[in-house]
Amino acid sequence: MNRNVQLLWNGLIPENPIFRLALSLCPSVAVTTSVKNGLMLGLAVVFVQVFSSCTVAIFRSYINPRIRIPAYVLIIALWVSVIDMILPVVSPAIYKEVALFVKLIVAFAIIISRLELFASKEPFVPSFFDGLGMGIGFLFGLCLIGAIRELSGAGTLYGFDILGFRPLMVMILPAGGFFVIGFIMAGMNYIEYKLTGKVPSAGGAH
Amino acid sequence: MKEILKITASLTAVCVAASLILGAVYTQTEHARKKIEKAEKEELIKGLLGFGHGHEPPADLMMHSVQRYVISDPSGSTLLGYVVPVKEGKFVLVEIDLQGKPVKVLPVDATAAQLAEAGTRDLAVNKALTKGGKAVYAETFYVADKGGSRFGYVLPGVTQGFKTFVELMVSLDPKFTIMGVAVEKHEEDPGLGAEITQDYFKNQFAGKTLETLAGLKVVKEPLPADYVEVLDPVKTKRAKLTPEQIKEIKQKHLKDDIYALTGATISSNALTRGVKDTVRKFVYRFDILKKAIDQEKVQVAF
Repeated sequence: MNRNVQLLWNGLIPENPIFRLALSLCPSVAVTTSVKNGLMLGLAVVFVQVFSSCTVAIFRSYINPRIRIPAYVLIIALWVSVIDMILPVVSPAIYKEVALFVKLIVAFAIIISRLELFASKEPFVPSFFDGLGMGIGFLFGLCLIGAIRELSGAGTLYGFDILGFRPLMVMILPAGGFFVIGFIMAGMNYIEYKLTGKVPSAGGAH
Repeated sequence: MKEILKITASLTAVCVAASLILGAVYTQTEHARKKIEKAEKEELIKGLLGFGHGHEPPADLMMHSVQRYVISDPSGSTLLGYVVPVKEGKFVLVEIDLQGKPVKVLPVDATAAQLAEAGTRDLAVNKALTKGGKAVYAETFYVADKGGSRFGYVLPGVTQGFKTFVELMVSLDPKFTIMGVAVEKHEEDPGLGAEITQDYFKNQFAGKTLETLAGLKVVKEPLPADYVEVLDPVKTKRAKLTPEQIKEIKQKHLKDDIYALTGATISSNALTRGVKDTVRKFVYRFDILKKAIDQEKVQVAF
């Protein structure tokens, strides 16, 4: 398989930021009360991740290793602010939906961890695909959690009434977020165990 | 020593580059962003008066904005100042003391465009004051006239929500009956408190008269099924109700209390309290302002 395609796939399932790397769990619980929220935050993350990864990949030889963390934070904050300023002009309708989420991204663990682990060591093109893959993986995770929570908690999907009643109120409360993420993680670990016969290693959480 | 200098220089370079980019983007987008914000606000006000969403307001609908200022007088007393439009496109500042007695009327040397901009407006109002006074902006409300008679009012309000403030706008008809409620800004929980922005909740306020509003409570009961069909425009369309049926159901529930949102009683209470306070204060203040205008014989535009 082409390495770039592999990097994209890697972010989606084998190293999914939420379910496998267990990074950025805080926003994954906080905003995924509906598919729409998940989708909007996911899109914003895709942009910031790709732009930040590319910037770091281009300037990686100029960034002094001892100040790399502040430099990365600055780069992420720069792209977040730029998107926050340009988006309302380019597309006010979309900005209205994502405005709340865009500003949150500065503090996401997944973005800085990809800069540190990947973009600071690799050239531009693989960094772009790694950023895109990780962003899409995060988007996929958020949408999946959002869909399960919205359907079971509010009886709707993307705002459309599906069930007509609210089966499990607890699912749209914060506790429901932990339940859903936990069950999906367990399911993915179980599948991996069945496929490879190895017990999955424990991940760290932020 | 040498390395620390190198690190400092390199970090400074990153910061300078980032701030230059940010500055450039800001200056390029600031104008367009402000224009969009203004258009959105106008659309919201139009919507509250029953227009917008495709149908344009009639040509003879005139909107007048009135700004309220809190003025600290050089004599040490606190006054309220209202920037009121008068005939021939001019503006005056009506000063009223806290007992509701008009103090004086001062001309404000500014155009409508200057008054629409917060910075130039504050400057013009402070210039109009007697020496040593200081005016602090409080809020803007709107008076709508249609063909020479009063059409309605749009007023802003703030209330304490579940986590932080909820900014709302209320439109009233000439008899101070609520026409509509809109939530401008809020940080309530999505799926729970954020439901206050949904039509089926906020439309419950429409049609409440001043007397009903004074005793309005929040009840923890499910919304009656026929009421939901009238409140939610999507469901009204689906239920294929005739205008007579809609009117009848609305009439039936006109004096009902506000039905609380499931799982968000605090947010429901907050919005209800906010609407009640906003309307009550406005009616009180507008009455005083009207008396002052009559007493001082100000030729107001509305």
